[in-house]
Amino acid sequence: MSFKGIHSKLVTLFSLLLTILFVYTAVSKLVHLDLFQWRLERMPYISPYASLISWVVPFLELVIAGILWFPKYQTMAFYASFILLGLFTTYIIIVLKYSDSIPCSCGGVISALGWKHHILLNITFMVLALLGILWTKKQYNMQSHQNTT
Amino acid sequence: MKSNFLKLVLPAFAILLAVGLAFATEEKVTFQQGHYYDTSVQQWKSIPAEAGCDEDGEYPCLHDGYQLYSLPSFGSTPLAKDEP
Repeated sequence: MSFKGIHSKLVTLFSLLLTILFVYTAVSKLVHLDLFQWRLERMPYISPYASLISWVVPFLELVIAGILWFPKYQTMAFYASFILLGLFTTYIIIVLKYSDSIPCSCGGVISALGWKHHILLNITFMVLALLGILWTKKQYNMQSHQNTT
Repeated sequence: MKSNFLKLVLPAFAILLAVGLAFATEEKVTFQQGHYYDTSVQQWKSIPAEAGCDEDGEYPCLHDGYQLYSLPSFGSTPLAKDEP
């Protein structure tokens, strides 16, 4: 299998995994919107925006999951995934420095994870998004090079 | 042909799987209800306890400094969690 072929398949696999993660957590949040909002209201710094965030986050997750499947926007979707996961992870780390008891504002069974495992899961998906950015860019550069020669 | 088929089927499969999982695990994720006695209004209040709070654990589950209980009674089990 060629170098390009492996990377193309891995990018598809990463898109698949990120789609499952985002759709799963978005649907879980929307199904329990009241609970999600209640938890956000108890999070430090962001509680005044709980109502807005409770709609924006699942919406963004669904949009990113959708655009991951359009080759034209795939790199942008990987960037968006990386930024969204990065913001959430940074926020968790900052908050945990000041408070050791905050309710998890995540969706589905992920909320049953401890904070350390949650950070680990986020970092794993951030690495997938980062590899997705690098490899889609590489593919794009290779295609551009082939078109010009 | 195969590529186009996969481009349609894979995202559809991922979305269906994720939605299915979200609903399938919904019933399994039970959030322990916590009860605390609010001294300012002198009555019991109920809230969903944070993840990991149940009747076993090392660290007490608190809400605004109040100990959470499994039932609205001081005789019930104080909720606790394994991780601080």
